[in-house]
Amino acid sequence: MAKIKLELVNLRKEFGDLVAVDDVSIAIEESETMALLGPSGCGKSTILNMIVGLEAPTSGDILIDGKSVLNVSPGDRNVGLVFQDYAVFTHMTVRNNLAYGLKIRKMDQTEIDREIAKVAEFLSITHQLDRKPDQLGASELQRVAIGRTLVTNPEILLLDEPLSNLEAAMRNQMRRELRRIQADTGQTIIYVTHDQIEALSLAHRIAVMDFGALQQYDTAHNVYQYPANRFVGSFLGNPPMNFLKGKIGEDGGRRIVTSGNSIIPLPLGNLGSDVSAGADVVVGVRPESLRLAAADDPGSFTVPILAVEPQGPETVVTASFGDSSLKVIVPTGAAAAEGDSIDLVPESDLIALFDAESGVRLLDSGDRR
Amino acid sequence: MSEPVLELRSISKNFGSNQALKDVNLTVPHGSLIVLLGPAGAGKTTTLRIIAGLEAPSSGEVFIEGMDFTQHQPNQRDIAMIFDNLALYPNKNGFDNIAAPLRIARRPKDEIKRRVMEIADLMKIGHILDRTPATFSGGERQRVALGRAMIRAPRFYLLDEPLSSLDFMLRIDLRTELKRLQQESGRTFLFATPDYTEALALADTVCVLIDGEVRQIAKAQELYDEPVDRDVARFVGNPPINIVPARLTRENGSASLEIGSMHMKLPDHMEHGLPAGISDVEIGVRPEHVRMVGSDSAETHLTGTVNDMEPLGMHTTVGVNLGGVDLFFTVPGVQEFTDGDKVEMHVDMESILFFDPKTGLRLT
Repeated sequence: MAKIKLELVNLRKEFGDLVAVDDVSIAIEESETMALLGPSGCGKSTILNMIVGLEAPTSGDILIDGKSVLNVSPGDRNVGLVFQDYAVFTHMTVRNNLAYGLKIRKMDQTEIDREIAKVAEFLSITHQLDRKPDQLGASELQRVAIGRTLVTNPEILLLDEPLSNLEAAMRNQMRRELRRIQADTGQTIIYVTHDQIEALSLAHRIAVMDFGALQQYDTAHNVYQYPANRFVGSFLGNPPMNFLKGKIGEDGGRRIVTSGNSIIPLPLGNLGSDVSAGADVVVGVRPESLRLAAADDPGSFTVPILAVEPQGPETVVTASFGDSSLKVIVPTGAAAAEGDSIDLVPESDLIALFDAESGVRLLDSGDRR
Repeated sequence: MSEPVLELRSISKNFGSNQALKDVNLTVPHGSLIVLLGPAGAGKTTTLRIIAGLEAPSSGEVFIEGMDFTQHQPNQRDIAMIFDNLALYPNKNGFDNIAAPLRIARRPKDEIKRRVMEIADLMKIGHILDRTPATFSGGERQRVALGRAMIRAPRFYLLDEPLSSLDFMLRIDLRTELKRLQQESGRTFLFATPDYTEALALADTVCVLIDGEVRQIAKAQELYDEPVDRDVARFVGNPPINIVPARLTRENGSASLEIGSMHMKLPDHMEHGLPAGISDVEIGVRPEHVRMVGSDSAETHLTGTVNDMEPLGMHTTVGVNLGGVDLFFTVPGVQEFTDGDKVEMHVDMESILFFDPKTGLRLT
């Protein structure tokens, strides 16, 4: 196991009656990217502010390289924060913006020049070093902001929604560059976002937050494929995960979930001792984890089609399952029409059962990585 | 078919020497949802402002229900315009926020109550009518604001990126609801967005605006399958379409493509459909039309080395270098690749789009 760079230990922050961060514990390995993912107001920015030292926790601890930094002032923690709205000095050239943090540290000029040249090349802004920020586009400004922080060689680079102000095409390109920079420098990065695409794309591990509490902390793969609860399932994926309400039943020795006339057979195997016949559950299955079934597939189920929407390479078919509706992705061109029915089979490993009341995952299996 | 609710006839707009809109023509039928799709700076907001009467066109006419409204004041047009940042009255509760336009119009009390309840039902915000905006979530605020706009019955609605400041998942939720709302109410929406996934999810018809010009008006799927030019092809689709320079050659009745040092023979039946009289082309290959095949497979068209990998949940995007040219393709689920891995790929030839490298227009 790699070295732990940053550890949050039962970190808690209260603002009056509001618990903004509710006893969050996370360990981040050196040279990995960890994404803090959640909706606005889930506490992710408060965590960032506590790591940087802009807020003091109500209780808990923050360890960098195994040592508590609670009594270390923000300037001495050696963590670099980059915001969404790229704070750069507009009156300074790009070169001077990059040099700023190093001059403060009284680094000598030859060394400053060398560091700037290195970072500028990394970020492909070498040709813009003598320009002023008002001559740059949004993505170039964000590169300068990242460069300004990266050049100071921080222990941890904290990025707070750094791509939110960019257009879609530019976001794609910047994601690619951030991945490359991370891989080449081995920089430890904490990346705050509400955008699941950015989290999946950039992070080795994702911490999903809601209402100040940590919902799941795992590899990007496991968070996506094996959500720990209904919230996590709902927060990642587009079209979103299907949630089908029903009761556990049995059919010829096989566990099924029923709702009205609809039946979905559960994969064979251990269902967990918590799930007894008659229990109210919610089946969670992603639209892409359902596929068109062969006629005689014993694990298949049939549902009536409500709508068919071609969306580029894929077509989204909406069908009904008891009181719930269900979306499935089929290749554009596959035979499916409104009013027909469709035979589906879930990929056995990728179907989740959640407790109807608590939303906690019941079925625990799968190829975790 | 009745008169279109809105018609733009040859609208141009200059700001100084900058031509923001060039000869824009667009027809919006009653009860339709049309999306104006384009990157930032394409002229979407300028178009909406001209329709609303907040900006005068340099030339051209705005027809509303068959009448020339070009010279009319905004308040004579009876149009609702909805922006990204919708202000609510902070000291009024949900009910009073929604009721405000009817109170200003001095409608009777019982009518106000009935109509607010109808709208609250449609927008699913019955539970927050007694609360003030400070207690609303982002989605609730946007719904109340939309409800307030919907309570009037203007001729049509102009929506300027109304969802762009919301969180990702909320945006997906609300766009589904907006579509339902539009369909159930039968009202007319002209919706501007830079996000093609939003356009695909919402629109009956999409009008693509790039550099102030209408490039294409089509059904969403048609834009994807049959873009008129390279810019439209690039703008619609994520990961974006690969545009690769290639040489098209014909010999003895069979055609082939040279890409760098690689050579792909095209199926014979495609020969008739290929652009004539041009050999240097750019080909457009969508990432989902490339798939990996085993090494030395008879299906191999291209070989390359992996230089990027982006796991996105449902798909993984893989970047490969084809000897100077970068190509991206998608594979289902999460698959592991390492930089430098050698891969062989099969290209779905029938789906290749051909573009004129000079004009960018699609060759057919």
